[in-house]
Amino acid sequence: MENIQSLPEQNRYHRPISSQIGTAMDNETHAKDLAEQQVEMDRLTAAMLQIANQRDKAAFSYLFTHFMPKIRAFGLQRLNQQGLAMDLVQETMTSVWTKAHLYNADKGSVTTWIFTIMRNQCFDMLRRVQHNKEDVFGDDIWPLCDTTMAQDTLTDHKLTAKLLQHLDALPLAQRQVVQGIYMQELTQQELADALKVPIGTIKSRLRLGLEKLKSFLETHND
Amino acid sequence: MIKHHPQQNLLVSHANGDLPLSMAIAVSAHCALCETCREQLARLTEQAANLALNPDDAHAANNTDQESIHTAHIEAENIQSTQEPMMDIDAMLAQIIAQPMATNVPSNAPLDVQVKQQHYTVPSVFRQHLARPWQILGKVSRMRFDVNEMNTRASLLHIDALGEIPQHTHKGYELTLLLAGEFSDLNGEYVPGDFILLNSQTHHAPKTKTGCLCYTVLNAPLYFTKGLSKLLNPIGELIY
Repeated sequence: MENIQSLPEQNRYHRPISSQIGTAMDNETHAKDLAEQQVEMDRLTAAMLQIANQRDKAAFSYLFTHFMPKIRAFGLQRLNQQGLAMDLVQETMTSVWTKAHLYNADKGSVTTWIFTIMRNQCFDMLRRVQHNKEDVFGDDIWPLCDTTMAQDTLTDHKLTAKLLQHLDALPLAQRQVVQGIYMQELTQQELADALKVPIGTIKSRLRLGLEKLKSFLETHND
Repeated sequence: MIKHHPQQNLLVSHANGDLPLSMAIAVSAHCALCETCREQLARLTEQAANLALNPDDAHAANNTDQESIHTAHIEAENIQSTQEPMMDIDAMLAQIIAQPMATNVPSNAPLDVQVKQQHYTVPSVFRQHLARPWQILGKVSRMRFDVNEMNTRASLLHIDALGEIPQHTHKGYELTLLLAGEFSDLNGEYVPGDFILLNSQTHHAPKTKTGCLCYTVLNAPLYFTKGLSKLLNPIGELIY
């Protein structure tokens, strides 16, 4: 769906009505364009995820080569100076590399995410040029990870629900300890007294229980 | 329910990063409170991104990429020889890759603001603007931000319960974004998130029953229009 937005303008609006008759070939090229753009988008997303998960340098180098000329052109247009445009490239791509783990493919395309970083950076640079101010406000105005209040609590609830569901799958001894510590907020000593076991046993049950919960969540996410 | 939203052209400018700081804060705070505009802004940002960074069609993009990198290299060398030294593209890439993962990511959880022993919650966009002192004039308190935009003034404005601002007009525009509490004027009642942009023709006299906290942006001082409050005109600047 999003691809329609990124089609060159003339494809959408500027085609003469007469040529809409017998456009079988046109449609084919059209479909090919769309398919190619999808491939391109998938390639960008794959590269971004490789950077986020494995800090993959080759993938970053690919993104850098892809976006560098475009960011530079944007910078030249806004900041009107070769040196500043290259600063914008450097600052933007540095954030892409150092904040890659904040990228969430469910929330938008790689292009939109990198645009956000670039626009925020450019906003601060423009203020630096115009007002001689060293403030960094861009990322406050347009947050990089889209955790608004509502969505935050939503994902939190989802995660809690998922955790609770897996909690039931734990062996009783481990479940008692995890529930006692995290839901009834008992201390390890209080739990040891209540269950009449040494505190060392509480510690090891807690560790085993948490490890198991973690592995449930990880396999679930794959 | 929020009834007053920023106009489409304001959202477009915001997505492109074209608004001055004072107004960008206002639209950002509104979007934090209004899901409709938040979704709209996400769509507009995607459009702006595709316009600015669109991967044309695959072949052409590859060619131009190679070419422009080549030109960038040449230009970089040219500049190096004439002006201040400029970093080589490969050196830039190497320098970036040498950097570690960022660990301190600013939280965008809502913030607590305290004024006159009352607590209010405001969107995280105000994070770096809340350190200034409150200036109190009767039931009206104001914290002016340091936005450095000529005559434009951006402030947090607090009106205590049963307080009001006398009827006034503005020489320029007046933006009021209600952040917490309620107020009303001759046009009706407002709820948190309402984004009210008035021009120089509008008269109004906002008043609140239970108290409210607003973010306001003005590009000219208030001008009081009614009775005794005309005496306030010399201190109109102080109120906003």
